[in-house]
Amino acid sequence: MNPEPFLQLDRLIHEKGRLAIMSMLAATPELSFTEMRDTLGMTDGNLTTHLRALQQEGYLSVAKSYQNNRPLTTCSLTPAGRKAFTEYINLLEQIVRQNKPR
Amino acid sequence: MNSNLAEAHLQTIRLLMERSAIYRRALAPILLLAGLLGLAAAGIGLGFHLESARSFAGLWLGTAGVVVTSAFLLVRRQALNAHEKFWSPPTRRVAQALLPPLASGMLLGGLPVVVPPAWSDNSLTALVWLLFYGCALHSAGFFMERGIKWLGWIFIIVAFSLMIILAANGRLLRPPAANWIMGLTFGGLHLAGGVYLYFTERRHPVA
Repeated sequence: MNPEPFLQLDRLIHEKGRLAIMSMLAATPELSFTEMRDTLGMTDGNLTTHLRALQQEGYLSVAKSYQNNRPLTTCSLTPAGRKAFTEYINLLEQIVRQNKPR
Repeated sequence: MNSNLAEAHLQTIRLLMERSAIYRRALAPILLLAGLLGLAAAGIGLGFHLESARSFAGLWLGTAGVVVTSAFLLVRRQALNAHEKFWSPPTRRVAQALLPPLASGMLLGGLPVVVPPAWSDNSLTALVWLLFYGCALHSAGFFMERGIKWLGWIFIIVAFSLMIILAANGRLLRPPAANWIMGLTFGGLHLAGGVYLYFTERRHPVA
């Protein structure tokens, strides 16, 4: 087995919680903090930690605004985040392919 | 990482991507409201004998307008309560899926208001509406959970079944039939769907 694809997997995305966040954001232009929290069943603190880690890597952007006098936090993938996520998926597919019996 | 684990990861990713693209606002209140308004409109139509092409179309297009406006306000309230944007990407997708068949049905059904037809029966208008409405629900169902696609199919099947009966048996052409058809389908089916969702829908929904 060639260990190369596994070694190339982005460690930051590979973590379960962050992978879930990236997956959700990859399918939609943007998501609110509450949408992600409720769908993923994470605590506010847990989600904030993951978002901060992804934001520091430049994978996602966080926008804070107000809607009807209520704070609204929305997240979206940056082009770098989308590229990293696509590469991550490609590597996973490569791992699946190379281990499939011919 | 072995291939099984990689496949499991890909499966989870696929699931989460689908889930984030799906509309999940509480649908039970919307269906219940549409059902009750549908039954009330049928009651008004039958009670006041609104049987001319123009009055029938006016009554039901007016009801549709009230239902759409009320649904809009309900969804907006849910979004505000959840501290979320009302016009979220899933909401936009659902609206885009609903729009062509709903607009076509409304325009076609609205023709008798502008140009009164030669025939005095409204049953065909009602069935065309049901058909288009079923198509609209089915399209939107691709972006929604909770069996909305099935509800769309039920509307389509009921519409076609009644068209066959209509073609075979002219008695359906009696004036009050159209209001009965609309009341039992638009009112009754929505109410049944709403009751089902009320007891089965998960709480704290998001769009």
